[in-house]
Amino acid sequence: MSGPRLKLALEHDNATRGRHVRDIVQELQRLQWVRGAMIVAADGFVIAAELPSTVAVDSLAALTATLGRELETSAARLGRPSFSTAMFSADDGTMFLAGSRIGYLVVLADQQANVQAIRGALADAVGLIEVAWGDVSPA
Amino acid sequence: MPLLRRLWRPAAHRAPLTVAEALRRAERHRQEGRYAEAGALVMRALELDGDNLHAHLLAAYLHAARRATAPAKAEFGWVLGHDANHARALLGLARVALEEGDDATCDELLCRALRFYPDFPEAAALLDALRADELQTPPAVPPALRVDRLRLPGTGRALIVGGADGGLIAAQPATNDASHVSEALARALRLATAALRRCGLGPLHRAIIEDERDAVFTRTDGNLIVSLALPRATDPPQGLLDVNRLWSATLHELRLAAASPPIAQRATPVSTPAADPTRRVS
Repeated sequence: MSGPRLKLALEHDNATRGRHVRDIVQELQRLQWVRGAMIVAADGFVIAAELPSTVAVDSLAALTATLGRELETSAARLGRPSFSTAMFSADDGTMFLAGSRIGYLVVLADQQANVQAIRGALADAVGLIEVAWGDVSPA
Repeated sequence: MPLLRRLWRPAAHRAPLTVAEALRRAERHRQEGRYAEAGALVMRALELDGDNLHAHLLAAYLHAARRATAPAKAEFGWVLGHDANHARALLGLARVALEEGDDATCDELLCRALRFYPDFPEAAALLDALRADELQTPPAVPPALRVDRLRLPGTGRALIVGGADGGLIAAQPATNDASHVSEALARALRLATAALRRCGLGPLHRAIIEDERDAVFTRTDGNLIVSLALPRATDPPQGLLDVNRLWSATLHELRLAAASPPIAQRATPVSTPAADPTRRVS
């Protein structure tokens, strides 16, 4: 079962990437059961965020970026493939994390969120980022 | 040809830039996840002013954003060499230390940052997560868990039972790296717990971590961690059912182990003393 598709058509010129990254976050935020979303760089810098006002964005960004790096580096140390998505469920909500070329996509959702649907949407979002940012060669 | 060559020159070299302008543009690119272009502009700025602290800090951020830990560490170090109490550089270096598993250095750097800048939410959040690690106390009595009685589902690839401190209680199959997997999982779950708490969502109970091959379904109550690796294609509700069943079975076995004589033989290699047998099913 695949999740809802993100309704985005990315232009691939550099000048529009900033807007598209915000569009991606807004589309994730509009999904059913989703309370907020964010893209955070691996250094903890917030690229775009649509989160409830009760959430301290900078603190969450620091923790999720550290978590993303922890998942990546531990997989590398163990000689395993890096994580693609992760879901962490608590009493009052669920946090999703997905790795991408530019950083980590973070989604906060209700506890009863449809895991497959959000996972699918995150995969779509990562795919869009790969397409739009993939033509930039490393410096 | 000279015209084409001029047109194809990298954007950073196209126009004469001041250091300030190059850094301003680099910041904008960074905000858009355009790290390569931002990096080229920072390089340009450093060509013009090799001692520019802001440029070195930005270079450190960009290396970290591109997961290049060693050059990020060098650049953060350069900044601290010129401003020993630079809060952002201290935080950056602390995160590098955490990535390298050097918790003591991470703690020291975060404390330094907070000593000079007490209102520094990122540093405070990371320090809280780190100190939560330290609160995980190893258990006094190692229960001898009969892991052979825990039946993996047909598609099950691996089972890890560990304490929240990362200590391995049992593994199936008993591979050489099982203790490292247990440690890594515990570290990740502690960071996730800290993030969930920061969002006011409460304590972590379940996790699913996927890579291109496996989906690792995990159940925890903050003391005990039971994780089951299944094929990635596994339906999440099914995987969660399977790990729930193993969670209950593990608790049952731990109760039996705790009630049995301390010399009870272990069924599988067990590396570390286990968590205080957890009885609460959350």
